[in-house]
Amino acid sequence: MFWNRGQQEMVGFILIVVLVMIGLMVFLVISLRTSPDEADSLEVTNMLNAIMSHTTECAIPSVPNYETFEDLFKSCYENDDCAGTVGSACDYLNETLRAILEDLMASEAEVDAYQFDFSVADDVGQEGLLRIFEGECTGEVLGAQGRIDAGAEDLIIRLKICRGED
Amino acid sequence: MELTLSFLEKKKFPRSRKNYNSLASLRIHSCQGQMKIQQMAFMILAVFFFFVLVGLFFLGITFRGVGESAQQLQMEQALSSLEVIADMPEFNYYTGAAMTLDEDKLRIMSGDFSEAYEDFWPVASIKVYKVFPKPESFVKCPAVNCNYFEVYDSGQSDVQEYSTYVSVCKRVRESGRTYDRCEASKLVLGVIDVLE
Repeated sequence: MFWNRGQQEMVGFILIVVLVMIGLMVFLVISLRTSPDEADSLEVTNMLNAIMSHTTECAIPSVPNYETFEDLFKSCYENDDCAGTVGSACDYLNETLRAILEDLMASEAEVDAYQFDFSVADDVGQEGLLRIFEGECTGEVLGAQGRIDAGAEDLIIRLKICRGED
Repeated sequence: MELTLSFLEKKKFPRSRKNYNSLASLRIHSCQGQMKIQQMAFMILAVFFFFVLVGLFFLGITFRGVGESAQQLQMEQALSSLEVIADMPEFNYYTGAAMTLDEDKLRIMSGDFSEAYEDFWPVASIKVYKVFPKPESFVKCPAVNCNYFEVYDSGQSDVQEYSTYVSVCKRVRESGRTYDRCEASKLVLGVIDVLE
């Protein structure tokens, strides 16, 4: 069984191609595994915690029981109303949350875009209740998540910020 | 004698047509062998350079990630230092919650009392800004409607500033009841920039 030279070279060539393909596949797998879309960040966690403990002007059921944002998420989920002329907890939450996010992000020069999600989670899955989104993301995404206990269900708060490329 | 030798040579290496052909064939085969060795050497070099290039490409991609990770780690380390400062009893709110500063303590520490702490702080500067609602301008405390506390400033130049978000809280009395009022603020620490 003697192969001629052409056949030997073809086999060698195919062998090299197969080796290169395997190398590329290994490289691709490693690259995809080490570049996640979004990373949890201590910086964003601190920002989210500062927002959550900020005291608002919404008092439930009466002044001076002012709610923090954390309480306000729960009150919105329970469809409560703020005392006086402030209105419903959800309307107030929507308005004030937009304002605080806008002001906080304005003090961050590197932030291109941000997204805030408020959703309710149970055994079946998650249902979005509020989403605030501003800007266009072109760089690295950092995020943080908070969980508020609301009886049988959990309220999930997630903040994502997009830091522009230098 | 000469005749004998030439005879012997002729005997040893008889000049025939067949022998001339085999010698020529040997030379051709030798040339082909050299060519094959050269081809193989070039092929080995090419394969070697190819894998070197692939390796360099792979290393480049890997070390680019390492650079980004180092930068992120440096940032996280700075944030941990901020947490240490924020959780010091000189600043921390009575509830003991992490990253929560006492406004009254800040007021005292940013007043004349700060001089007594000059040698205590392990950083070049400590400042706290109230960021919501966004102020038109920052008014240094103590003052009416102030929104900015300068706890310490060594006056050093080449200072790199790191910041994080904290809550600044105080006990407030309203309608005969007291409650905790917290505001989202920014803690800014200055450290001497060793890289410059």
